[in-house]
Amino acid sequence: MTAEVVTGVEAAPVAVVSRGRSARLRELAPFIPAALLLGILFFLPLGVMFIFSLWTTNANLDIVPVWNLDNYAQFFNSSAYVRTLGKTVIMGAAVTAICLVIAVAVAYFLARYISRRWARLALLVIIVPFWSSYLLRVYSWQAILGEKGALNQLLVGLGLIAEPSRLFVYNDIGTFIVLTYVYMPFAILVLYASLERFDYTQLTAAQDLGASPSRAFRYILLPQIRPGLITAAIFVFIPILGEFLTPSMVGGASGLLIANLIQTFFKNALVPQGAALGFLIVAFVTVLLVVFRKYLRVEDVYARG
Amino acid sequence: MAKSVDPLETMPVSRYAGLTRWGLRVVFALLVLFLYLPIVFMVAFSFDESSTPGLPIQGPTLHWYDVMIHNRQLLTAVGNTVSVSLIVSVLATVIGTMAAFVLVRGRLRFPNGIRIIFTLPIMVPGVLIGIALLVFFSRAFHANLSLMTVIAGQLVVTVPFVVLIVASRLQSFDRKLEWAAADLGASPRRTLRHVVLPLIAPAILAGALICITLSIDEFVITWFTVGNQPTLPTYIYTKVKFGVTPEVNAVGTVMLFATLLIFGIAGLALGRSRRSPARRRAAPPA
Repeated sequence: MTAEVVTGVEAAPVAVVSRGRSARLRELAPFIPAALLLGILFFLPLGVMFIFSLWTTNANLDIVPVWNLDNYAQFFNSSAYVRTLGKTVIMGAAVTAICLVIAVAVAYFLARYISRRWARLALLVIIVPFWSSYLLRVYSWQAILGEKGALNQLLVGLGLIAEPSRLFVYNDIGTFIVLTYVYMPFAILVLYASLERFDYTQLTAAQDLGASPSRAFRYILLPQIRPGLITAAIFVFIPILGEFLTPSMVGGASGLLIANLIQTFFKNALVPQGAALGFLIVAFVTVLLVVFRKYLRVEDVYARG
Repeated sequence: MAKSVDPLETMPVSRYAGLTRWGLRVVFALLVLFLYLPIVFMVAFSFDESSTPGLPIQGPTLHWYDVMIHNRQLLTAVGNTVSVSLIVSVLATVIGTMAAFVLVRGRLRFPNGIRIIFTLPIMVPGVLIGIALLVFFSRAFHANLSLMTVIAGQLVVTVPFVVLIVASRLQSFDRKLEWAAADLGASPRRTLRHVVLPLIAPAILAGALICITLSIDEFVITWFTVGNQPTLPTYIYTKVKFGVTPEVNAVGTVMLFATLLIFGIAGLALGRSRRSPARRRAAPPA
């Protein structure tokens, strides 16, 4: 943009182009409320938490300003904690993978085989469930997946299993199903935006040149929707790192994730330990955002449909 | 807007093309089933005579709706939620839109960095924001938790949405329109009022609607910052956690249809306003 030739129109003075410090300040003034808001209510509290993570508690569980790294060391020395962290990452990866596969299939179908008008309607149909209470939808899943739930009744009714199974809820499988349910629409919205822009005659051309359909898909389509795939992956994977409600409702005792661990620390007044774990997550999320900064298309995820 | 079908598109390219198409159709149908399953159950359970959600559904009964409208606590929670979400969405929309203008036009030094900063509150787990605010409010301010702290907490996650959505619209805004207006003698204020704002209004409205829906359904941050005045999600959570109460399904059903109605009306209004200028433009110049 900098090397562009400046046309007469661009160079025309718009209003009185005011220079100087006070003018600059006036120009920036509308930014102040947002900056103050995030500064005071987001960065400052997280900063306080970071400081607490470096302090310790005394016998009465009061926080005392004794600087140390024990809270972090304690976390990494506990195999149970590290295992929960590992499980959270694996859960995130698994849910992201299945969301991407299904979302690519659905978005491809909508973008290629359906007229744009109907595709928009289909996207609306996909979003509507998300206008109802998140809590109640997860609550419904409890009833569907439970021992006396609809899924068990169906499977027993079809004769696929002899008696109701407890496999579907209050464990990792329950968490996996519900998380997939919660994050799928985001992935579909993002990938539809990419696949809608794709020129499908390229696939025909590739096949005309002798590529098999799967080769054409792999080498022509997938590389071109890579940014969409990355955006979708970020918007599914990162929120799962902090998922607290779904595991607490359908995960049972064995299906809890790292965010539940953080909450338990704070509930038991182990503020420095909880803060340390929380800070690790914040740091991890920040690193991911910085690495993938080009793909943070929030508006593609939420402002469509 | 009907897309004209390219003849290349209809050319059969593979023996499996038809099969793929049918397969994808099935995947789509299963997906819709998957997405609607819990909704269908929520609505069905709200008419269930049995007080434990499960099959077979007995009824239908309107009993739980009756329980719902006589539940004082629940109605208070609904009232709290409505006022919180209105305040949050108005404040977030104004604060966010103002910031978006500076973000896009203010020649800020690190646009990418600022983008990351505004994405952080959306991506940092709500549990952490909630707990950090709780610790902050109680230890730093010794503030009592109330609906004010809930509003403060929800603003942290809603303002960034408005900023990013409006900024994205402003980015693609053709500034020549403003220069044209200025050239024709409009003051910057008039240009803003009559040229810029009407053109980015859909983005601002989208931001406001997202704020309302996020706020109404926000549970995690609210859970940590709420005092003794519950919002609807925190009320439902305590109910669901400590006892089975089918009237929450009735509330969910009513809310779903209320949201559908609001969005339907908003969609119609938007569609109409979007269509009319087009018609005017199509009319031959007199």
